[in-house]
Amino acid sequence: MNALNLSVKQGDIFCLLGANGAGKSTTINLFLNFIEPTEGLATINSLDVTLHSKETKQLLSYIPENLMLYPNLTGLENLDFFCGLGGKNYSKEQLEELLKQSGLQVDFIHKRVSSYSKGMRQKVGIALASAREASVLLLDEPTSGLDPKASNEFSELLLDMKDKGVATLMATHDLFRAKATGTHIGIMKEGVLIHQVEANSISLPELEELYLETMKLSQTVSS
Amino acid sequence: MIRRIAFKEMKENLYEGRFRVTIIIVSVLLIMATWLSLNYFKSVQQQHADAKANARNIWESQDEKNPHSAAHYGTYAFKPKYPLSLIDPGVDKFSGISIFLEAHKRNEAQYMAAADQTGLARFGDLTPDFIMLFIIPLLIILIGYNAFTREQELGTLKLLKGQGISSWKLALGKWVGIFLPVLILTTGLFVIAFILLVNVEDFGELNYGVLLLMFVVYVIYYAVFINITLMVSAVSKQSGISLVSLLVIWIVVCLAMPKASSNLADSIYPYPSRQAFAADIDKDKKAGLDGHNPWSQAAKDFERETLEKYGVDSLSQLPFNFDGYRMQKGEEHEAQVYFKHYAELKNTFRNQSKVYQAAAIASPFLPTRFLSMALARTDYRAHWDFSDAAESYRLSLVDTLNMNLAVNSTYGDWAYKADRSLWKNVPDFEYDPPSLGDIIGRNWSNILVLGLWFLVSFVGLKILTQRV
Repeated sequence: MNALNLSVKQGDIFCLLGANGAGKSTTINLFLNFIEPTEGLATINSLDVTLHSKETKQLLSYIPENLMLYPNLTGLENLDFFCGLGGKNYSKEQLEELLKQSGLQVDFIHKRVSSYSKGMRQKVGIALASAREASVLLLDEPTSGLDPKASNEFSELLLDMKDKGVATLMATHDLFRAKATGTHIGIMKEGVLIHQVEANSISLPELEELYLETMKLSQTVSS
Repeated sequence: MIRRIAFKEMKENLYEGRFRVTIIIVSVLLIMATWLSLNYFKSVQQQHADAKANARNIWESQDEKNPHSAAHYGTYAFKPKYPLSLIDPGVDKFSGISIFLEAHKRNEAQYMAAADQTGLARFGDLTPDFIMLFIIPLLIILIGYNAFTREQELGTLKLLKGQGISSWKLALGKWVGIFLPVLILTTGLFVIAFILLVNVEDFGELNYGVLLLMFVVYVIYYAVFINITLMVSAVSKQSGISLVSLLVIWIVVCLAMPKASSNLADSIYPYPSRQAFAADIDKDKKAGLDGHNPWSQAAKDFERETLEKYGVDSLSQLPFNFDGYRMQKGEEHEAQVYFKHYAELKNTFRNQSKVYQAAAIASPFLPTRFLSMALARTDYRAHWDFSDAAESYRLSLVDTLNMNLAVNSTYGDWAYKADRSLWKNVPDFEYDPPSLGDIIGRNWSNILVLGLWFLVSFVGLKILTQRV
């Protein structure tokens, strides 16, 4: 990472685009305090994540590319467990409602996660973010591998979260999804945030052109 | 948070067939072992009671005879069977159950249960202590080997850490998640054992404090194994590596170290062979007064000293029967010889125990094994206690009989016969086992080492799980 400077406000969805190894996941991991910056600060609600790791983690919810849950437990039991770790306790009915709102089919709520598709697990992740009442959502390529329908449902859930004032930072390869759901889009290469644009200031073809130009620039620099 | 993680761990385990099957197998084995032990205990207890009553009856039914002949006729001391031997039979099977008490000779305990068994006994018996010492640690390994590696393999560790949970709280949650089912299993066994024991005849011998202490010892032993299991899981990259590493540790701790320490103790401090031991005793006995041989130099010297002491010229002028007196003095000399040689044996035993105590630093199995046997009063120390008590009784019995001959007859009067009331008046052999205080006093080093194992492994767990 080099001279990364970005901020995500309440109600913003900041989509980070970039090739593999561009530094998107590293950026997410900085905010999770899984890695510490050698210089500079990563803050959530003005709190330095390295100094206030526990407090900042209470504020955020994280969904990785492939959300893994405990396969022997049901979706509801997984949600109950992770909510409890964050200090949130809900009744069974409330948990069921949260899972329904996240789009999980009702008949899967009490089935073991071992029978879930990736999309279903991501929905449990969204339910977890809602349940935790997180003000910050960190998503690391959450729609990777999802079919278009599931991907679209996921985007709608993100927009719901946005309306609730949640600040979302999402790493993705999906330009279409970034344009459709993001409020801001950043393009990274080799650990540097090359471009930052507002999503509604750029069309999808323009975004695609800008992305490809950035990647070419990267290849030129590399060669 | 710890409670929630522990609950999740237990729930996951319960949903897993591997855990359910293992728990069922261990529970069935425990119930079977307890049932078999109870039957054996009741049967042996009845046999002991019958044999003891029979031996006393035979003793009291002797006809009128020379008291020293009665001393040669002899009787038996029976080792009591303690209620907690139901849980840990210890070395009872190998140490013999009764000692024949006779004049001039300290006999070894005889009728070892192991002698009645076939070669299949080499495979060991199904007893509760076997399950508790060997199988439950394996159960712990089976439950916990993948406690951390599974989180890494599933990918759930990142999500967990993303919730702000510290590595230490995660480790403690997992610790409790393994400990609780093991605690429930162990508590169940002790409750069953308690219910069974309060219903057996010798219930009065059962000390609740000892039972509770034995329970605590096993719980600490399991806590140590849980610490080791979680440490290995925390530093292993894969579940398979963790499982193999833990099985190797189990083999070393529970099988190899006890055998190795036994061989080491025997090579550094060997016991004399039975023949050499008997020959040394015989040699020392011959060097002193033989009560049956009035013509030996020792007997002549003793005769002269006695005449001088009482200021008389002949043995017939003594106020007692010198034959009886000489036989008693000969008995006292032999008792000293036995005391000296048995003290050497005990010293070897103590030295060997020191080797075991040193080896216990490398294996939590050893202090647990020794504490368990000591609390059940089935260890070698308890056997030594019984053997010493039987020897004291033998000396007292022979002294009573010899002095009866000396006081009630005159020198040369070999026709004297004591009547049956003498046999009845000799008190029966009674033995008080070591108290809980004695047991703790003798085993403080085992208690200390087991406690250290728990503390050090717990600190090790805290340090190693920081890497997770």
